[in-house]
Amino acid sequence: MENKDLQKIVADAEASLGTVTSKPSWEQAKATFLGPNGCLTQFAKGIASVAKEDRPTFGKSLNLAKGQVESLFQNRLSELEELENLKSLGDRIDPTLPSIPSFYGGIHPLTKTRRKIVAIFRKIGFTVAEASEVETEWFCFDALNTPDDHPARDEQDTLFLPHESKWANVPRKKDEAYLLRTHTSSVQIRTMLREKPPLRVIAPGRCFRRDTVDATHSANFHQTEGLFIDHKVTVRDLKGVLDYFLTELFGGEVETRLRPSFFPFTEPSFEVDLKIPDLGKLSNKWIEIMGCGMVDPKVLGLVDIDPKEWTGFAFGLGIERVTMLLHGIDDIRHFYQNDQRFLSQFSGQS
Amino acid sequence: MKISLEWLSEYVDLPNPAEDLVDVLPMLGIEVEEGEDSESINLENVVVGKVLDKNQHPEADRLSVCSVELGSETPAQIVCGATNFKPGDRVPVALPGAKLPAGFKIKKSKLRGVTSEGMMCSAKELELGEDDAGLFILPGEAEIGRPITEVVSKSTVLELEITANRGDCLSHMGIAREVSAYYQKPIRIPSIQTNARSIDSPNQNCLLSSLKVESSNCPYYTLWSIKGVKVAPSPDWLVRKIESIGLRPINNVVDITNFVLHETGQPLHAFDLKKISGSSIVVREAKEGEKITTLDDQQRELNPKMLVIADSEKPLVIAGIMGSVDAEVDANTIDIVLESAWFHPGNVRSTARSLGLHTDSSQRFSRDVDPQGVEYAAKRAIDLILELAGGTTSEEFVSIGQPPRGSRCIEIESDYVEETCGFEVTHDELIESWQRLGFSVSGTSPIEVTVPSYRSEVDRPIDLVEEFLRIRGTSHLHGSQFLCPSLHRDNEPSYDLCERAVDNLIGQGYQEVCNYSLRSTDELSDWFPQIKQEEIALGNPLTADHTHIRASLLPGLVEVLAHNQRNLNTLNRVFEIGRVFRPGPRGNAELISIALALTLSNSEKNWKDQPSPDFFYLKNSLERLLHATGLNFPKGHWQTIDNQLPWQCGYAAKLGDVHKNKLEIDLGTLQLNLSKKYDLKGAVIAAEILIDPILLNKKKKPTPFSVFSTFPPAIKDLALVVDKTEPADAVRQKVEEIARQKIGQEINLDEVKVFDVFEGKDLAENKKSLALTLRMRAKDRTMGEKEVNQTFENILEGIDSETSYELRK
Repeated sequence: MENKDLQKIVADAEASLGTVTSKPSWEQAKATFLGPNGCLTQFAKGIASVAKEDRPTFGKSLNLAKGQVESLFQNRLSELEELENLKSLGDRIDPTLPSIPSFYGGIHPLTKTRRKIVAIFRKIGFTVAEASEVETEWFCFDALNTPDDHPARDEQDTLFLPHESKWANVPRKKDEAYLLRTHTSSVQIRTMLREKPPLRVIAPGRCFRRDTVDATHSANFHQTEGLFIDHKVTVRDLKGVLDYFLTELFGGEVETRLRPSFFPFTEPSFEVDLKIPDLGKLSNKWIEIMGCGMVDPKVLGLVDIDPKEWTGFAFGLGIERVTMLLHGIDDIRHFYQNDQRFLSQFSGQS
Repeated sequence: MKISLEWLSEYVDLPNPAEDLVDVLPMLGIEVEEGEDSESINLENVVVGKVLDKNQHPEADRLSVCSVELGSETPAQIVCGATNFKPGDRVPVALPGAKLPAGFKIKKSKLRGVTSEGMMCSAKELELGEDDAGLFILPGEAEIGRPITEVVSKSTVLELEITANRGDCLSHMGIAREVSAYYQKPIRIPSIQTNARSIDSPNQNCLLSSLKVESSNCPYYTLWSIKGVKVAPSPDWLVRKIESIGLRPINNVVDITNFVLHETGQPLHAFDLKKISGSSIVVREAKEGEKITTLDDQQRELNPKMLVIADSEKPLVIAGIMGSVDAEVDANTIDIVLESAWFHPGNVRSTARSLGLHTDSSQRFSRDVDPQGVEYAAKRAIDLILELAGGTTSEEFVSIGQPPRGSRCIEIESDYVEETCGFEVTHDELIESWQRLGFSVSGTSPIEVTVPSYRSEVDRPIDLVEEFLRIRGTSHLHGSQFLCPSLHRDNEPSYDLCERAVDNLIGQGYQEVCNYSLRSTDELSDWFPQIKQEEIALGNPLTADHTHIRASLLPGLVEVLAHNQRNLNTLNRVFEIGRVFRPGPRGNAELISIALALTLSNSEKNWKDQPSPDFFYLKNSLERLLHATGLNFPKGHWQTIDNQLPWQCGYAAKLGDVHKNKLEIDLGTLQLNLSKKYDLKGAVIAAEILIDPILLNKKKKPTPFSVFSTFPPAIKDLALVVDKTEPADAVRQKVEEIARQKIGQEINLDEVKVFDVFEGKDLAENKKSLALTLRMRAKDRTMGEKEVNQTFENILEGIDSETSYELRK
């Protein structure tokens, strides 16, 4: 009889919990069964009318039922709490919706090429040297064996700063004019004056020419200079280093050749030509890629390095040119227009 | 420089086909420019035709209707607009299907009602020559119907680019010497008939009575006399040569001097005797302000740095560059004085440069002509003048000074060659390569190499190594297996810093861009009117929009944002890293700058709302950037920037001063009117970091560890009512300072933080309320509630007594 009632209470509790969806209604329901006036408490009071010998059984059944009801409520509470936590997560997601915010940054293609070049040379022990973009005539020309009346030094191509301008953080040799460097070769000079051989440096940077802007010319552009000074450096070492570099940059299928040329600061001097089997319209044609040569003994003398003890080579290449070749870009102005439709093609790291 | 292969072949046997030179010359150091001339011509369906009949077009006065035999049974009917031909002439005919070099396609068509079955062509239309005045009348009896390319070959002219050191190559003979050295074929130098004796001042046989040289810039000057010439047009062979290299024929005497210049590389000048006042010539420096009207009809003002050839009254020639209209040889000239000289290359160069007058002559003098060729060139010209214009020459020529350079001997060891090249060379190989170049060689150790006068640039052993490599070729030169022992050299710190900054900003969602360093005056005055413009102006700008070097990266960034917005691109956050230039108290400074900018209004729609970026958003970008790159913020507070371009007053701030701290940061909204100038919709928020590279040379010490409390913090908040104008950070710092004082050494205080700002409601109008939070912990225990409250009370009392801040209850 009592057992039946208890079972009904348990069943009622279970049933009423089914309609409980919030914590307040759970509290309410809990009071109905387990509170001071709850039906289980009421039921317990009925012990008075139970025969003494039956009381232990009564108590046992009561406790059992109470335990059941309590655990029902506890479980429901956990469920409710879990539901509440879930609710704070919001709607279930559609993973195909776009990210928020959806922009991401990107690297400029010239930076990307510069990094590639620097990384290749890093593997063979070249580290980066830098110097100012504002230079002086001595560092940009005289020290590079290009005296004032030298045909290679055409003022038409050089942007000068007014004679009276003074630069606090660009040291001069004497009182020569300031200018915007026309090549990164000036970094060779500043490096050799500051550091002693053996030297192996690469110097990427911005240069300037007095040029009007068109598809292949730019008033400013970027070069990478390289300098290698050591004991007994030969033309073959020059070829070896540049072959390694070009193979790393353009792939194993490249052919290279050294074509005699002229730079005032190297002797002998060469242009490096490159032949690549798969380069669109330029496939299998000799393409001029960089200038190089053995550092002229006069240059070493001018920076107080004994040309009898030390020899070396230097080279320079245009970062725009390499980038255009690598990606088949046909107009140098793209690099400076910064249109998203251009930049986004190259903005990922690779 | 243009070189005609036909002309060249007079001095040396050319390879067969001669076009092989296009591949050979570059490997000798002479670049051949890519152009139409170096490509083989493709003229399909263009054949030889013979004009049989020529009749007036019934409907058009200027057209004729011709019957042209083309090798097939029936002649073709062709309508033609040219007039320079007659029946019997053979001309190139483009048949239907032919495509002319300019891209024009030939079809059978009707011209004014008359059918035309092709087109008769001029040399220009087929790009076989420059002549476009009429049809190309083929010489001789070319076989009718044969493809035109088999009948006429283009007179091949190569456009060569001669490096600055090879003045000796600026002539047909010079190139012939290179070809001769490469192919080991003998060179043919035209022999000379003229035989004159040099005297050091004019005698009665000379046309002039006086010649003086008054400048060291002319160490060697010769003057020759030719009497009784007949100036006339040049004969065909000379006209053809002159035209083949793109010059205009003038008359026989002038054409001869031009011919000899391009043959030998020695510029000459012919004077008309009657135009020389006082029958005297003086080589002197120009007088200040002296004027001359050169042959190009420009009046030019001279200065004493310039050398002139003058008569007793006026300058006749700017030495080595260009003559005046006053001394020109013309149709009436009878007696000629011919100059052949050597002028100092640097002087000619600087004069040509300062006058902006570059001529064939100045180009050669400034690259150092062969002093020992001076006499040869004059004699060669006189031979030709006597042959083509008649006249007689005197038995003497006046010669002042000496050739400044002759042949010279260089001693070299073969070991030196090996050490430079990195491979073994035999004695014979060396000798052969130098001899091929026309150098004479004797001895073995050292080897004595005598270099002729025309090679001005070969005067050291290293130069001989270069010549050896040039002739030997580099195709068998293999790169060495190089060793790279470590050098322990770091990258320049500025490079690494910038690389870290690039990575960080990309990670924060900014796109790297790249702008020109050269900017316009207008831009500079719009953006930075406070900067003294002349300090960063170019001395010799080329264009009006590139007059200054950039003082900031910001204008470029705004241009990029505007460009992309205009093109409906979604790119709206960008950065650039580069060098900028700022005047400073001790002179200008070149600075590293990192700048970032973003536009607020961009059309990109999102399915989910996003807070709009503002000053504090960008401030956080900067904090992240500096933290990641290892730069420390300059000491001090952010100062608001008031009324200073390019910033919007009240919405921008700066920290540090680049001239004092070597580091400065500016941040905020760009002045609205400024971004409006770029048609940008919406405000631009931007930041700019300026770094003096010197800052980066300091090596940083490792940070020492300090023990931290492992006990939980006690957290207390307080709100203070302060003046509205009081910077939040000043309040924060003051509170932190007082709190530290009050809590003593035993208790750690974390950084005090501002977490709320409140204005209005029950506050006075000039007041605001700041809420701050304090986190304290004892080093050795958990602080009890009582202790915490007591400490907090002490701090509040401190604030109350030491500041004017009012505690908000």
